Amino acid sequence: MAINPVPDHVPPEMVRDFSLFTSPGMPPTPNGDPHAAVACAHDGPPIFYSPYNTQDGRGTWVITRAADQRKVLQDAETFSSHRSIFSSILGETWPTIPLELDPPAHGAFRSLLSPLLSPKRVTALEPAVRERAIALIDRITASATSCDVMKDFAFPFTVSIFLRFLGLPDQGLDTFVGWAKDLLHGDDVERPVAARKIVAFIDELATNRRKDPVDDLMTFIVQAQIEGRRLTDGEIRGIGVLVFVAGLDTVAAAIGFDLAYLARNLKDQELLRSEPDRILLATEELLRAYPPIQLIRVATKDIDFEGAPIRKGDYVSCATMIANRDPEEFESPNTVDLAREHNRHAAFGYGPHRCLGSHLARREIVIGLEEWLARIPTFRIKEGTAPITCGGHVFGIENLILDWS
Amino acid sequence: MRIIVHNAKCQGHARCWAQAPDIFKLDDDGYILPGDIQVAEGEQLLASQGARSCPERALEVDRTSAARFEPAAMQPRTGEA
Repeated sequence: MAINPVPDHVPPEMVRDFSLFTSPGMPPTPNGDPHAAVACAHDGPPIFYSPYNTQDGRGTWVITRAADQRKVLQDAETFSSHRSIFSSILGETWPTIPLELDPPAHGAFRSLLSPLLSPKRVTALEPAVRERAIALIDRITASATSCDVMKDFAFPFTVSIFLRFLGLPDQGLDTFVGWAKDLLHGDDVERPVAARKIVAFIDELATNRRKDPVDDLMTFIVQAQIEGRRLTDGEIRGIGVLVFVAGLDTVAAAIGFDLAYLARNLKDQELLRSEPDRILLATEELLRAYPPIQLIRVATKDIDFEGAPIRKGDYVSCATMIANRDPEEFESPNTVDLAREHNRHAAFGYGPHRCLGSHLARREIVIGLEEWLARIPTFRIKEGTAPITCGGHVFGIENLILDWS
Repeated sequence: MRIIVHNAKCQGHARCWAQAPDIFKLDDDGYILPGDIQVAEGEQLLASQGARSCPERALEVDRTSAARFEPAAMQPRTGEA
């Protein structure tokens, strides 16, 4: 894995030994708290250069302030999101859609997909989401007073909701979770293998739905028109891959971090259990404290941004977990306050690429917490176990064994 | 009181709608409808909370006296509408 040298235009005093991949707390760590670990970014200058800050070892500018991240992410013309994050794993350059398209091309695809994940549509999905959560938790409590939350609840819950959305049967669940894990957290051999499997799967699904249409997302995509024409095979693949990857890992990780927090903070756990009306607001605070995503943009031109000499082609990192710990934006940012109001956190990004699935993600987390707290008595991290956390492009948690015996 | 809507800045977070669905109306994509919002008496607190919830800063609270009787702003988009 090559580490690019620091470019000449970056002043040496702006380079900092900081990385979402290699800094303390970022590699797999038992009982880690990677979100708290990256809050140290605020001890230094508001913008700096990290020589190693992407999965493939590239350097990026790091924007720490929420206000500056807003400026970057709202200005898609200067800060493009087309960086082929998925296809580059295969040595290719096609965009995932709509994420890696810039305006104006972005708009038509975004409008095509937005109604499918609008607040109203998500409200209609709610009964099915709740039913799924209850079924999974009832299955757990029927036979045990302890479980591996990620394996037994967070992944099966979020992935099955999303498979239903895509129109796929639950049987594929373990396979898909395995692909996502290899893609996001695997090594240089596992990642391209997983990427190839996902592409082949999406391509085959598109072919099948073209032949035999059913009532699901892929059928909608293969039949859809933008600007008076059908979508190309490449566009269909770009959408399918994005929806697949975006839905697999992020919400499960958020639920995992949230339940780990509640397992370690029994007062907050009891508060939400006894007053479930607080869960809606508390979810916003948990999204602020434990968001899983780093956003990266590419400069389309030279720009001096808040004192940083950013040059065309430079990568610019807007890590949501760093913005969400900005002391200029949030009072006592490192304190989790489940009653925090006016919580304009960055968990779903800013600007035209605001997470398309944000409304569904929110509902899944709220419903997951509501049903978990309603059905599981006081739970703790199981004695003798240690959840393993990791930083990276998508923060994650595994081996989260909860016990309520 | 009036809420000035900067539609170009709305990115469909729908946080205003989550706070006050009767005041902040969305289109089918989940983005706020165009046009400033005249806020009814008694809904001012809710409306300003909704405006303050916008992550993009697309909603601006206008408390100037002009906001109260500027005819162009008197669209039927208050909570009772």
